[in-house]
Amino acid sequence: MSTAGGIIKALNSGVKHLAVRRFTLRYPEQKLKFVGDGFQFNPETGVGIAGLRGRHILYHEHCTGCQLCSVACEGIAEAIGMVKVNETWKQNKKAIMPQIDYGKCVFCGLCVDACPFYALYMTNDYELSSFTKSALIYTPAQLALKPKISQDVEIKIDDRGATHG
Amino acid sequence: MTTPLPPGIQLEKVDDRIMTLNVGPQHPGSGHMRLIIKVDGDYIVSCDPDPGYVHRGEEKMAEYRNYVQNIPHLERPVIHDSCNILYPYCLAVEELLGIEVPERAKYIRVIASELNRCVYTLYWLAIYGIFLGHSTMFMWPAGDRELFIDLLEAMSGARVTHAYLVPGGIRNDLPANFEERCLRQVDYFEKRLKEYQAIFYKNPLLISRTEGTGILSRTDAIRLGTTGSVLRASGVDFDLRKKEPYDVYENLDFETVVRKEGDSYARSYIPYLEMFESCRIIKDAIRKMPKSGSVRTKLKPNPKGGNDEVYKRVESGRGSLGYYIVSNNRPEPYRVKISVGSFRNLICMPYLLKGELLGNMPSVYWGLNYWPVEADR
Repeated sequence: MSTAGGIIKALNSGVKHLAVRRFTLRYPEQKLKFVGDGFQFNPETGVGIAGLRGRHILYHEHCTGCQLCSVACEGIAEAIGMVKVNETWKQNKKAIMPQIDYGKCVFCGLCVDACPFYALYMTNDYELSSFTKSALIYTPAQLALKPKISQDVEIKIDDRGATHG
Repeated sequence: MTTPLPPGIQLEKVDDRIMTLNVGPQHPGSGHMRLIIKVDGDYIVSCDPDPGYVHRGEEKMAEYRNYVQNIPHLERPVIHDSCNILYPYCLAVEELLGIEVPERAKYIRVIASELNRCVYTLYWLAIYGIFLGHSTMFMWPAGDRELFIDLLEAMSGARVTHAYLVPGGIRNDLPANFEERCLRQVDYFEKRLKEYQAIFYKNPLLISRTEGTGILSRTDAIRLGTTGSVLRASGVDFDLRKKEPYDVYENLDFETVVRKEGDSYARSYIPYLEMFESCRIIKDAIRKMPKSGSVRTKLKPNPKGGNDEVYKRVESGRGSLGYYIVSNNRPEPYRVKISVGSFRNLICMPYLLKGELLGNMPSVYWGLNYWPVEADR
């Protein structure tokens, strides 16, 4: 193949893409849809349930204050600290629950694997940025909230190429 | 008369014609490393690679954490290839602790690591493209990489740093309908990959810049101890997936890609061709995988390793990647040594660049499939 021919062929393969729909995800307007409600773990079988590893959700009615999540995080991110809560639960005599610092968390989800009481899961919420460092520290009360999220865009593939949504 | 120098110190004799150039240490490509290059006009006289700017002490850190807590930090050196850097660690720890891995988990691990290899190779290719001033070749692989990141995100829950492989299997089973989604996206990607040929690999501009530059002969490649795509580009048929098959690679249908030229072009072409093989492996593994079953063997809390040592290696995106782990009856390993492909390939840089044009330096450097962070560990 001659040099000019090769260059024209290369240009042509690029120019063809002017007619192809764009693949880029327009992020703040569009948000990717994930499988399930976030990463969860079944302590009976010892196997997790697939989902995005975003912000945690803490079920106060299950948490016993056993500190296993905090122990699991030692040596990884040291993001989990146990704090006193003004709540009385039968199973949580010490009234302590995890507080998570998202400035440190690496979202590995090993704390979820460590929880034997179905109390700590992860959610699809990944937009955690804030203007201050202290706002990144989520108290047990903040962790109990279910995130409000609308994520609906998926990769669609047809004859004309792939697009987001 | 000049004053004599203190004992033990010598001044470097500098030729008038020779100029020393520092390429780096701030990101000559990706990651911090420095190339000290001496040039005579436009020709490189000598090259002295100077790695070590991103040393993180991974090996020492591993001595203070137990076998599960080591997972997140050990995948940090190559976040784009995190399944492959954890793979030999998991294999080694499984042998140390005497754990059997369920059959389905073995297949899923292979799928995850092949998807991850594609993610890494596409990222590498994107940087290779922009290194040579081909910005379309930056955009296309960076966009198509999203297909695999999407699949890995569905599998493991994270875009990069998946922490998906653990000693004993994998963290979670595949989500529903993953097989269909994976096959659909891999099929589309194969079609897309063929388009790279015309715009990049058959492009006369790329060929003129890379063909015949930085030639590494077969004997030199073996003598210098290179691995991975660099070795295969010099005509040596060596792939650990074929030669020392781990997990289920022996049941899967794929071929090793070998080229004889040993130049920059061959070194850039091999990872590209291997992506087709990766797609073949993924499709084959999905076909042969047991449709249901356990995916993880339960570990005891804080498992102890016994008095033993073990070495396991796998084929990563950058060549052979091995873990040597010594244990002394404690929950933490006594010593972890990571042997990475990038560091081995770096050694041929002075040989390849000697007498080369300075303009060919980027293609030779990045063609070595060198990842600074992994090399420094």
